[in-house]
Amino acid sequence: MIEVRNVYKTFLLPYKVRALVDISASVEPGEVVVVIGPSGSGKSTFLRALNRLETPDSGHIWIDGIDVMNPKTDINKVRAEVGMVFQNFNLFPHKTVLENVTLAQVVVRKRSKKEAKNTAMALLEKVGIKEKAQVYPDQLSGGQQQRVAIARALAMNPKVMLFDEPTSALDPEMIGEVLDVMKTLAREGMTMVVVTHEMGFAREVADRVIFMDDGAVVETGTPEHFFKNPIHDRTKLFLSQIL
Amino acid sequence: MGAAAKSALLKKNPTYFLWVGVFFLILTLVVGLLYYATQKIDYVWRWYRIPQYFVFYDDVEIRAEIEGTVKRITRKNGDAEVTVADVGEEESYHVPGGEIRVSEGDFIFSGDVLGSFGKWRVGILLQGLWLTLKVSFIAILFGIVIGLFAGLARISKNPALKWSAISYIELIRGSPLLVQIFIWYFVLGTLVNTLLRQQGIPLIPPLWFGVAALATFTGAYVAEMVRAGIQSISRGQTEASRSLGMTYVQSMVHVILPQALRRIIPPLAGQFISLIKDSSLLGIIAIRELTKATREVVTTSLQPFELWFVCALLYLVLTFSLSMLLQYVERRTLYQ
Repeated sequence: MIEVRNVYKTFLLPYKVRALVDISASVEPGEVVVVIGPSGSGKSTFLRALNRLETPDSGHIWIDGIDVMNPKTDINKVRAEVGMVFQNFNLFPHKTVLENVTLAQVVVRKRSKKEAKNTAMALLEKVGIKEKAQVYPDQLSGGQQQRVAIARALAMNPKVMLFDEPTSALDPEMIGEVLDVMKTLAREGMTMVVVTHEMGFAREVADRVIFMDDGAVVETGTPEHFFKNPIHDRTKLFLSQIL
Repeated sequence: MGAAAKSALLKKNPTYFLWVGVFFLILTLVVGLLYYATQKIDYVWRWYRIPQYFVFYDDVEIRAEIEGTVKRITRKNGDAEVTVADVGEEESYHVPGGEIRVSEGDFIFSGDVLGSFGKWRVGILLQGLWLTLKVSFIAILFGIVIGLFAGLARISKNPALKWSAISYIELIRGSPLLVQIFIWYFVLGTLVNTLLRQQGIPLIPPLWFGVAALATFTGAYVAEMVRAGIQSISRGQTEASRSLGMTYVQSMVHVILPQALRRIIPPLAGQFISLIKDSSLLGIIAIRELTKATREVVTTSLQPFELWFVCALLYLVLTFSLSMLLQYVERRTLYQ
C-alpha cells in the first residue's frame, strides 16, 4: 500500500536540519504501523512526506502504486485517497461540524449535498458526536474536535489514514475517546500510519512499530519484539526513559 | 442593557454612571466652546439659507413653441391642457396643477408663457452627496476585487505575479492620490477617449476615470490587508484543506479567504472611510461631488461657514453609516 525508498529531506531554514536520512519503509494493506521516537527525530516529517505536505529532496514514495514524488502526479488525487489527522485538529472554525465533514466531499469528490450529509452523519455517529453536528468547532472539547477531524478524513473514503500525534494536544481524560475511535478503525482493517507517544496504543494495536532517531529508522519490528527484546542500544535507552 | 445587567455592572463598577455623566459633560463643553467661538467671529450666520441647496421649490414656466391662437383650455383635476392652433398646426401643452396665464382666443407668439407651476427640485448639495456616494460605492466594489487579486498575487510564488503586485502596491501607496487622479484623467483618459473618438464609439465621462483612480488607489491598500489577513490564518488550515485533496483555489475559496476576510473587516472599514473622504479630490477633474458642489455654492452664496459645516456633517453621515454597516457585517459573520 505504501512503499518508501531511500528518502532524504534536509531543512535549510531557520537552520540546517537533516530531518530524513535514507528512510525506507513499507506498509501493507490493512496494516497498522506506529512510528515512535524522540522529539525532532523526523517522525512527523516522514508522515507528512507521505502525502507530500513536505516534499522530500530525493528518494521514492509510492502510495497504492502511484508515484507520489513524480511531479506529473496529480497530488490532489493522491491526497484525496490519504486521510490525515493533525495534532492540532485543524478543523475549519468558520464551518459547523457537519460542514467540516461535508466540505471536501462536495468540493473534491463532487458528491451531492444530500449524499455528503448522509455520509457525514453516519461517520459522526460512528465517532460518537452526532448530536454536535450543528455546532461550531470552538464549542467542542479537544477530544470531540479530534474525533470530528477523524470523521472529516474518513468522509473521503481514504485507502490510508495518517495520524500525526493525534492525542498530543489533548487533556489526559480525552485521550481515551480518540484512541478508542482509532482502535475501532484498526479493527475494521483500515491501513494506518500513526505517529504517537502513546505506547499503550502501540503495544495493543500496532502490527509493526518503527523507531526513528535523528531522521533515520533505527529499528522496525512487531510490538512484541520492540517492547520486549529491542536490539539497538538507542531503542533500549528510549524505552527505559519513557516506560 | 437589561435591568439585571445594569445592576450587575453597578455592583462591579459603582462609579459607572458618574463617568457616563463626565462623558456628556465633556461633550457639552466641546460643543459649547465651538458655539461660543462661532459667536465671537465677525460673521453673519444665515442658516435659513442652507435648506434651499438640498431641495428647493422651483417655478416652471410652460412656453409655447409655435405661434397662433389659444383654441381651447381644458381643466381636469386641477391640471390644465392648453391647445394652441395655427393654420395647419396644432399643439397641446400640459400644465400640471398650475396657473394659466392666457385665455381662450388670445394670440400668442412662439416663446410666450402659457402657464406656470411650482415643483420641488433636488438642490446641488444633495446632488453632490449622491455623486459622492455613487463614486465611493463603485470604487469600493472595484477596490475590493482589485485588492483581492493583488493580495493573492502578492503572496504568490510566481515572480511575475509577485513582483507585479509589489510594484503596483508600492507605486500607488507611495504617490499622491491627487497626482494619480491627474494621470488617470489627463493622460490615460485623453488616450482612451482619443482612441474611442477615432473608432466612433461614445466617450467615457470623467466620472469613470475618477472611479478608476479611487479603485486602484484603494486596491493597493486592500491588497496589503488581504495579504496580512491570509498570512494570519494558521498554516494548519491550509494543510488540513490540502490534505483532503483540495486544490490551491478550492482551499482559498472555501477555507482561507472566508476566515481572512472576516478578520480584515475592521481595517477595511477604515480604508473605505478614507476613500469616501478622498473622493473629495475628484472635484479637480470636473466631477461635481459633495466638496466641489459645496465650493460652487460657497462662491455664489458667500456663506462659507454654514456650507462647509454642512459639508463636513454630510461626510460624517456617510462615513458613520458605513462604519455601522461594517460592524454589523462583522458581527453577523461571527462563527455561531
